[in-house]
Amino acid sequence: MLLWLFQQLGQDIRAFNVFNYLTLRAVLATLTALTISFIVGPAVIRRLTALKIGQSVRSDGPQTHLVKAGTPTMGGALILVSVAVTTLLWADLSNDYVWVALLTLLGFGVIGWVDDWRKVVEKNSRGLPSRWKYFWQSVIGLAVAAYLWQTASLPAHTELIIPFLKHATLALPAAAFIALAYFVVVGASNAVNLTDGLDGLAILPTVMVASALAIFAYVAGNAVFSKYLGVPFVPGAGELAIFCAAMAGAGLAFLWFNAYPAEVFMGDVGALALGAALGVVAVIVRQEIVLFIMCGVFVAETLSVMVQVASFKLTGKRVFRMAPIHHHYELKGWKENQVVVRFWIISMMLVLIGLSSLKLR
Amino acid sequence: MKRTTGRFGGDSRAGEAGTLRRHQNLPVRFWIISMMLVLIGFSSLKPR
Repeated sequence: MLLWLFQQLGQDIRAFNVFNYLTLRAVLATLTALTISFIVGPAVIRRLTALKIGQSVRSDGPQTHLVKAGTPTMGGALILVSVAVTTLLWADLSNDYVWVALLTLLGFGVIGWVDDWRKVVEKNSRGLPSRWKYFWQSVIGLAVAAYLWQTASLPAHTELIIPFLKHATLALPAAAFIALAYFVVVGASNAVNLTDGLDGLAILPTVMVASALAIFAYVAGNAVFSKYLGVPFVPGAGELAIFCAAMAGAGLAFLWFNAYPAEVFMGDVGALALGAALGVVAVIVRQEIVLFIMCGVFVAETLSVMVQVASFKLTGKRVFRMAPIHHHYELKGWKENQVVVRFWIISMMLVLIGLSSLKLR
Repeated sequence: MKRTTGRFGGDSRAGEAGTLRRHQNLPVRFWIISMMLVLIGFSSLKPR
């Protein structure tokens, strides 16, 4: 909306044309999302507390977590509102990719909201039954994948790009592309959700990956840079830099309230939505494998649960003291803060490795 | 007249002693402020 307004004003006053630059709008989107969350955040936390929308803590988890019971949850709604408003303000609303990303974020947010609401407000410990949760995630994931396949205008838009290798691409038929896109969107969504078990653990890696994806989106949307760096040119993908920047800003502001000791948790409404949003952006800019690398912490958390469950079912023995893996380290004696900051550092390293794929080929 | 502007020297100490009761938040909150300032710095690259 603001872009349109400034474009109109720019016809008479040239200074307003500066807002046509993606880079400036991305920085302003980050600052806008930060400001919205900082202003609205305390009111949201007070409201959630007043409504007694408090997190229940698993009794079989680490004993140190019992003090967290009753901390307001569903704070992810704050992130979603902030990202949505900021994107509507700063992005080019005639761009289809912006709407695909925004609707995916909000769609998965609704699934998370229903799950949280049933657990926390209706005191239904099962929440939204798993089969229904996966059903609705699949509906949105498949719809997005099919839409992206349908609207792909160049073969490069549906090829799998192998990072760190020059011109290494794999042409995907429709079924393979849709399956991959579905797996990336739904997988990322659930992986972030599994990671969201310690104060601030999920949100900062999300911010870092979103920031890196903003750079990938900017490069993919720029004919000159994409050709120079050897990544697929996806016209219009640059606008996703605004969406990613809004996610980074809203996430950073959320961390202010979610840092140890957390005043609010994001809940499924935030975790499912943010993961899906990262996934859909990676699919659009054709960086699924790079996303897999950058989301290494989320991947490790998910794998730890899968390995633990499989091992227990097959052999009756546990591989980790507790899954997801962040609890394993807590039970080994690491303090919660240590686990969180060390996982952030690993995440930062992985994001840097992912970014280096832009040049190393 | 001897007065101190913060409760302690070093803003982080003033924050701990002041309104930020749960001072374990402080390092992360100072990192966030730092990141915002870096962003503002970056934005100066474009509008000139």
